[in-house]
Amino acid sequence: MMWRDVGVTLILSLILPVVAQGARHTPPGKPKLTSCRSPDKETFTCWWEAGSDGGRPTTYSLFYHKENSDTVYECPDYRTAGANSCFFNKNETSIWVNYNITVVATNALGNNFSDPVDVDVVYIVQPHTPENVTVGVLEDEDGPFLRVSWEPPRKADTRSGWITLIYELRVKLEEAEEWEEHRAGQQKMFNIFSLHSGGVYMVQVRCKPDHGFWSEWSTASYVKVPDYIPRERSMWILIAVFSAFIFLILTWIITMNRSSVKHCLLPPVPGPKIKGFDQQLLKKGKPEEVFNALVVQSFPPRSTDYEDLLVEYLDVYVNEKQELMPEGKDLQDVGCLKSKSQSDNDSGRGSCDSHTLLMEKCGGVESKEESSYEEPELLQGQAGSWERLEKGDSQEVDTPDSSDGRVKTWPSVFSPSIHGSSDNHHYGTLEMPKQHSTSEITYSVPDHLFPTSTSFPHHHHPEYSDSLYHLSRSPSAGVAYHWEAQHHPQAHSNFNIRNLERQKEATGLGLPPSRSMEYVEVQKVNQENQLVLKPLSSHGRGPFQVQFGGAGVNYSKVNGVNNDNVLLLQRQREMAEAGQYCDYQEKEGGSAERYPTQQQGKTAKDGPVATLLQESTCLTTSGYVDTAPTMPTF
Amino acid sequence: MNMMQVMQSVVWAVLLWPCLVSLGVPLECKDEQGSIILCASISKEKLLDRVIQHAELIYRVSEESCTLFEEMFVPFSMRSQRNQAGYTCATKAFPIPGSKSEIQQISDKWLLHSVLILVQSWIEPLVYLQTTLDRYDDAPDTLLKKTKWVSEKLLSLEQGVVVLIRKMLDDDMLTTSYYEQGVAPYDLQPEVLESVLRDYTLFSCFKKDAHKMETFLKLLKCRQTDKYSCFLH
Repeated sequence: MMWRDVGVTLILSLILPVVAQGARHTPPGKPKLTSCRSPDKETFTCWWEAGSDGGRPTTYSLFYHKENSDTVYECPDYRTAGANSCFFNKNETSIWVNYNITVVATNALGNNFSDPVDVDVVYIVQPHTPENVTVGVLEDEDGPFLRVSWEPPRKADTRSGWITLIYELRVKLEEAEEWEEHRAGQQKMFNIFSLHSGGVYMVQVRCKPDHGFWSEWSTASYVKVPDYIPRERSMWILIAVFSAFIFLILTWIITMNRSSVKHCLLPPVPGPKIKGFDQQLLKKGKPEEVFNALVVQSFPPRSTDYEDLLVEYLDVYVNEKQELMPEGKDLQDVGCLKSKSQSDNDSGRGSCDSHTLLMEKCGGVESKEESSYEEPELLQGQAGSWERLEKGDSQEVDTPDSSDGRVKTWPSVFSPSIHGSSDNHHYGTLEMPKQHSTSEITYSVPDHLFPTSTSFPHHHHPEYSDSLYHLSRSPSAGVAYHWEAQHHPQAHSNFNIRNLERQKEATGLGLPPSRSMEYVEVQKVNQENQLVLKPLSSHGRGPFQVQFGGAGVNYSKVNGVNNDNVLLLQRQREMAEAGQYCDYQEKEGGSAERYPTQQQGKTAKDGPVATLLQESTCLTTSGYVDTAPTMPTF
Repeated sequence: MNMMQVMQSVVWAVLLWPCLVSLGVPLECKDEQGSIILCASISKEKLLDRVIQHAELIYRVSEESCTLFEEMFVPFSMRSQRNQAGYTCATKAFPIPGSKSEIQQISDKWLLHSVLILVQSWIEPLVYLQTTLDRYDDAPDTLLKKTKWVSEKLLSLEQGVVVLIRKMLDDDMLTTSYYEQGVAPYDLQPEVLESVLRDYTLFSCFKKDAHKMETFLKLLKCRQTDKYSCFLH
């Protein structure tokens, strides 16, 4: 018997699991309460989710008991809220009371309880979405704005104060990404400003009780904003137009005065100019002439020192007795001096800084590339030619020679002879023209001073004789010659004067060797186009000093050039002798006055006139006038 | 004649200027004995509005305090379970209505009295809560401040309700309460789970009761303005 029971049990135990496994029937899985919500604080609904089925049809039931009682109640309504839900109506809902809710899953095999959940209806309120959301566009003086209005959800009793709802809305452009959220508080209306003109906006509203959950967003309401120009932008447009207009006017003005503006902002930089380059000549189409003009005999210039041109004082060697021929020792001195100054051939005073009057000697030496200086024969020959030159000069001083534009006149320091005295051989000295009311020293530059000169025919160019200060252009010659003429006469006159001086020393006039320089002042140019020099002496030495009544050393400076190409010289006075000199000056001035007019009358076209400024004569000026800006460019 | 009348009214206005200023007198009016005297006139509606505002504020602050306490001290597992293990909220002397329909059946008088009882029942426990919180080691400052603030505001709310009762119901019998009622002091040490839970219960129960007060008052207000529409729904 026992064996039979054991056998049956064994068989059953073997079969049953198989059967059970095949059928998969288990007690249901554990359900779970997902959420409970109340839309109006008067009713609420709970939802649960089912666990595993267990293979058998399962039923779910919800049980609850209230906070202070132990009475268990079952869910009154399983259907109203849908599947797996339990709906509590008004009669069964108590607020401020905790509900302890449990769901039970039951099937044929068993049941399963969910975890209990405590619920207080007050805290689970989630209202419905606000209703009747309307959006309208209203106009304001600043532009259009949106007015959104809505109503509370129908179920929530806000009228009696049972529920207090606060609202929130969000706005965005249709194509925008982010929403712009606004809290509206308890009001049911809201304004939105600063809209994009012509844009389409979406608006949504939601609400929440002061102790619950937010409702869902209401369905979006679309609204189109009409096109408008913001007042602010229109003002900016006006400002932009106005400034553009002003800018155009300014541009036009600047364009009209382009050149002057450019001149003002970017002053023209003086460029290099080629001396002797005649553009007009080039335009005429004669390149040969132009290039010939460029080739200057005496280029490179002897004196690159423009100071010589500006410094108006001249070294004049005053010698009472003029000697035609230097003595032997003079020659040697000359030679010595010359050799000493061999290094400085190009300077105005370098190579010919000797006290001989034989400038042609110097010129000749230079023409022979300054190699040989000691050429007495040459000297003599030149001296003879010098004589001829001298005479020729005197004769031809007035005849202009335009064949070649070189300075031709010899700056004869023995002006008195030329001017009126018969003694033409007095050269190299500066004789005081006692017979003349005014002392005039004229000199002219010998043509042989230029290296290329081979003969001593004197081609006078009266314009250049006094062209030390010649500032206008000669029509017949190139500019270079002007410069040359300007430069050389002075240079050579310097030479001459110095030579004179030295000779004077050599002749033993008693001047100390250290004092080798005397200064002349160019007073004016006489009608023969000769510079009238007026000797100056700073120490009152020299006979002319006496004659002049103790005139002080005066440096004549070029004060300027007036319109008629007249070089305006300016006297510089020492204070001590201002008075005396003034008197003298007045006399001079008076005479000088005449001359300019005469000169001008005579050489109106292109005669350079050197006049003295009278107004500044009696004044002690501060210094030399820098005439560089006033000199016209060539 | 007109000019004279105008002049008179102007003079009266100037003389009564201080009285005009005193129209906005605060809610609390007390004499030396502490009994409430009739304050300078404030309309019932305005008073009720102010009381409601008080109640709303108290509820909001109590909710914040409860949340703070819960986050700081209450273990996570026990948070959702309120009133567990027997720590239920103290029952009141009279049944509190539990639904809207019930509340709507209550008269104004009972409503006001309910509110008053509620307020008075929490004055003591809040004081206790304040002292308890000081014993916590790491109680946040905001929590302490809020609790202190709430207990003060509760007192003023009580005064307001008393005035309201007197105004609306012409009931002059009540005075501000000084009687003891509430939770008996516990001698448990802080930071022990029991005491933490107890305090937590206090916070949550107070929060609930604050909401009750607010709701009652709001319902009362509706009845004042439009009696019939309040019951329709």
